[in-house]
Amino acid sequence: MMERDREESVDLAQISLRPLQLSDVDDLMVWTTDEKVPKFCTWEPYSSKDQGIDFIQNKACEFLWSRAICLHDRAIGFILMTSCSATDQSREKSVELGYVLGSKYWSKGIMTYVVKQVKKVAFREFPHLERLEALVDAENVGSQRVLEKAGFHREGVLRKYLFFKGKSRDMVIFSVLSTDLNHQD
Amino acid sequence: MERDREESVDLAQISLRPLQLSDVDDLMVWTTDEKVPKFCTWEPYSSKDQGIDFIQNKACEFLWSRAICLNDSAIGFISMTSSSVTDKSRGKSVELGYVLGSKYWSKGIMTYVVKQVKKVAFREFPHLERLEALVDAENVGSQRVLEKAGFHREGVLRKYLFFKGKSRDMVIFSVLSTDLNHQD
Repeated sequence: MMERDREESVDLAQISLRPLQLSDVDDLMVWTTDEKVPKFCTWEPYSSKDQGIDFIQNKACEFLWSRAICLHDRAIGFILMTSCSATDQSREKSVELGYVLGSKYWSKGIMTYVVKQVKKVAFREFPHLERLEALVDAENVGSQRVLEKAGFHREGVLRKYLFFKGKSRDMVIFSVLSTDLNHQD
Repeated sequence: MERDREESVDLAQISLRPLQLSDVDDLMVWTTDEKVPKFCTWEPYSSKDQGIDFIQNKACEFLWSRAICLNDSAIGFISMTSSSVTDKSRGKSVELGYVLGSKYWSKGIMTYVVKQVKKVAFREFPHLERLEALVDAENVGSQRVLEKAGFHREGVLRKYLFFKGKSRDMVIFSVLSTDLNHQD
């Protein structure tokens, strides 16, 4: 009898966030080598474990804040925040959110659950923060739904805002303000 | 008694040319006027040294810039800034900025100038795909300039910038190279 892959729902209580570690590299390689995952990202799928090691050791720490998204303490994705004020002081009360999840775990409510948590963490960790924003490719409907369900406001479509992988992309911009949180769950 | 009559301006007398050190006294007229930088990050100038410093050291840092002149006297300034200083994926975007002496507001001058500069931008920078501008949500006059000049209003970015002690909602506008083919 052949074993069949059953579409499993995930118990969200088994989802946790913790810092990414070098021992996560094999798990990280699962989503970074999957072509579907970085389809709307600026980066290309990884082709070598060295890239995974480099990311964990040298790149992950450059973010303002980041965590591995874990299921039973195994990394299945990554979520991060970047300061918007690297070159522009007038953007110092804004932070940008980014996230990635292994495709096997899409459409199960995991990313929405995680973003809702991180939204609260952001304003707690950074008390001067006023605006948490995210930019999503206009074709990436799944990711737009994550942000809408997590309580972000859709502000508009920035036409041909970014150019990568050989083409210009329309980006939908979302935000949640510290003042929004007082009126949400 | 001589009365100030509200004068309309012959737009044929409006021209663009590089800002020069000899423009400093004219520049000081709009940079010391409190009304002018109300929605800008900078404070009104208090010393001519600031004017000289701007002309000699700051104006050249823009990707492109021109003095806005009436009968060859500077009455304002318009500039373009590359959006890709730290982010390569913004390499085909340029941001527009402009300022005009308050005596010359509401005469159609800024709209006339922005329409010209819109065409100049895509001609000077053939790889440019997007020309954008951010305007304070309270700065209705400047929003009207961009709308009349053919820019698309994409949305309001809430509390996007923080300066002079408060967060500002900014309206973002853009015009694409592909928009131009369908406009005047």
